[in-house]
Amino acid sequence: MFHVQHAAMATVFEIRGECRDPDVGRQAARAAFAVVDRLEQTLSRFIENSDISRINHLAAGESTIVGYETLQCLQLARLMYGQTAAAFDISLGTGFENLEIVPEEFRVVARAAGVRLDLGAIGKGYAVDRMADVLEDWEVSRALIHAGASSVLALDPKAGEEGWPLTLSEPGHNGRVLAKLSARQCALGASGISKGDHIVNGLVGEPVRSRTAAWVWAPRRVLADLGRRAGVDASAAAVADALSTAFMISSIDAIEAYCQSHDGIEAWILADTFLHFPGTSPLNTG
Amino acid sequence: MDHNKRSPRIDRRDFLKTTAAAGLALGSRSLVSAAGGTNDLRVALIGGGNQGMVLLESCQKIPNIRITALCDIWEEYRQKYASGRLRTYGYEHNAYTDIHEMLDKEKDRLDAAIVATPDFWHADHAVACLNAGLHVYCEKEMSNTLPNARRIVVAARESGKLLQVGHQRRSNPRYRFTYQKLLRENRLLGRITTATGQWNRSRQDPLTMPARYNMPPERLEKYGFRSMEQFLNWRWYRGLGGGPIVDLGSHQIDIFNWFLGARPASVMASGGTDYYSKDTHEWYDSVMAVFEYPTPDGTVRASYQTITTNGFGGYFELFLGDQGSLEISESSGRGKLYRDIANAPDWGSIVKQGLLREPEEAPRTQAPGVVLDVRETAPPPSYALPVQSTKLYHQPHLENFFDAIRGGVELNCTAEDGYETAVTVLKVNEAVERAGRVLFTPSDFEI
Ligand SMILES: NC(=O)c1ccc[n+]([C@@H]2O[C@H](COP(=O)([O-])OP(=O)(O)OC[C@H]3O[C@@H](n4cnc5c(N)ncnc54)[C@H](O)[C@@H]3O)[C@@H](O)[C@H]2O)c1
Repeated sequence: MFHVQHAAMATVFEIRGECRDPDVGRQAARAAFAVVDRLEQTLSRFIENSDISRINHLAAGESTIVGYETLQCLQLARLMYGQTAAAFDISLGTGFENLEIVPEEFRVVARAAGVRLDLGAIGKGYAVDRMADVLEDWEVSRALIHAGASSVLALDPKAGEEGWPLTLSEPGHNGRVLAKLSARQCALGASGISKGDHIVNGLVGEPVRSRTAAWVWAPRRVLADLGRRAGVDASAAAVADALSTAFMISSIDAIEAYCQSHDGIEAWILADTFLHFPGTSPLNTG
Repeated sequence: MDHNKRSPRIDRRDFLKTTAAAGLALGSRSLVSAAGGTNDLRVALIGGGNQGMVLLESCQKIPNIRITALCDIWEEYRQKYASGRLRTYGYEHNAYTDIHEMLDKEKDRLDAAIVATPDFWHADHAVACLNAGLHVYCEKEMSNTLPNARRIVVAARESGKLLQVGHQRRSNPRYRFTYQKLLRENRLLGRITTATGQWNRSRQDPLTMPARYNMPPERLEKYGFRSMEQFLNWRWYRGLGGGPIVDLGSHQIDIFNWFLGARPASVMASGGTDYYSKDTHEWYDSVMAVFEYPTPDGTVRASYQTITTNGFGGYFELFLGDQGSLEISESSGRGKLYRDIANAPDWGSIVKQGLLREPEEAPRTQAPGVVLDVRETAPPPSYALPVQSTKLYHQPHLENFFDAIRGGVELNCTAEDGYETAVTVLKVNEAVERAGRVLFTPSDFEI
């Protein structure tokens, strides 16, 4: 077993894995963390020369060129914005539709000023997906990767095991366990408001308070295929991330309908009661 | 060798397939930039490693630049990756393993080259490109030896081509503004007496790669490397790099020379491979150096440290004068001036001119007749720099190079500037070796 951590994007990234030579696992992890650091430089709105900062500074009619990874995140965000009827909105209600994305030129054009992007609800997942690329390049296939316990990607489990054992719990230190999962080749996204008012319903321009937490999980392949519709490289964790944020906002009916119409996507919502949307999930949840 | 003659449309088929599904169409960069017509510069990228890719991300954001040739010896990994990335960005190009073959085939179709290979290759690569009639952007350190750095200066002079050394802070808008407006024109620090700088990095294992990407030993040997381990970690080996003082320190010691407008007279230094294995870390893993700079205002002492076991404080430079202090760093958003309230005149007019931000701790306006609004202890005033740069760190320096090729602007870091810094920095390793004070003579800096 190897188990390594790295601080980035205002959270802790972690890899647990199994590898014949644990040293190879650690080397792979080092390379994966280097990728996260590079991504943070382009995706963070707190870094003044990141692609996202440049977009956030655009005046009406201005445009900027972004790198490949930023374009990928924007395309995915645009797809999820459409898929969730704008519940998932990386502009937090400041007018995502006022940004025109011109992929062939890697250009983002602002049709109006004042659009403020925050990739917080997708960037960590996207980084976790890119970490998986690195680990798999190193032929480390038995691993659990996550960012701050909320963007989770399970590759193969440890030898002889069914999956990586995970739980969903009520927020708080000794929160009741709500569900037990066994994860392999799947992604899980979690959102919640125990950190305060950080999820904004862009549709009404107010922070979400009516739900405590939302979780989404699905087979890696299902989520990756979804992202590919927008031309995005396999990004299961990013899609799960986006959906869990959207499901803090979407109506219960909309969540139900989404899970029904997307094979394999399963969700849980903790509001006044704990709701499970099993969808048509082939995954076995205990 | 892989000639990517196919159009980007076809080369980017994966991307295309998926994007097309989303109802988007891809065009090639040559179509996009064709609007710029003859203004396009055709550039070769030599060395598609970490820094090569960083420079590519900047080039991608500069209009009318076309990277039409790539050279990297690591076919199994870097050449493939870099080539894919170039295609993604719509740069139609040919990829080569050997620079001489590249120059033979491509030189007539190229305007410039970017050299981002390991330090010990810079001289051969830069000189070959200059002699082939190309303008060159050569990464720092100009070379790991002074005789080789001199070869670059001479070749630049003799070829009449431009050579920019990759000390990118020299084009950073925040550094340029600070130097010109705050230090030179307004002398806000008063008489500068002291400078210090550091680049601290946390502990890191040597770089490794999965064995299936290994180069054959003959190719490694042909290009001067003993093993994959040495190839990946060249910075730490004698004869290939110069260790952290050259790798990191050079950026900031370059700022000492530039901001102080002087060349050092001496340096003392202490350093060693204290932490890592001497087998893999031939150069010193920690170095502390003290320079003495004679300036028209008097002597300035400047200390610098780089350690590779703890990243506390990161990297920055400090300039201290009898009227104020400046903290500056390439790191995004880091830059402040502190006024010595006992000795400096008021900076209100400087703030009014927009040369500094309002101090963050500015006292609230007081009602007429009131002399003090009593409150929790106020800290002494600090003033943020008013200049933000939203460009990638290397973009302004590359733009300066490309603009100079097109005419009308001067290079911000010429071969001579880079040479002065190389002399200053390489002497530190000499001082460590001699465990003593090493003197510079004016002739050390002349060619
Ligand atoms: N300005 C900066 O901020 C900055 C930052 C990092 C590195 N650098 C400089 O950039 C240069 C490259 O550093 P790096 O970190 O990218 O190293 P790296 O090892 O990641 O990349 C070097 C690349 O050069 C290739 N190469 C080696 N020998 C070659 C040869 N003879 N011909 C063609 N290709 C060859 C290698 O295959 C590799 O891809 C160094 O000089 C370094 O000092 C500058």
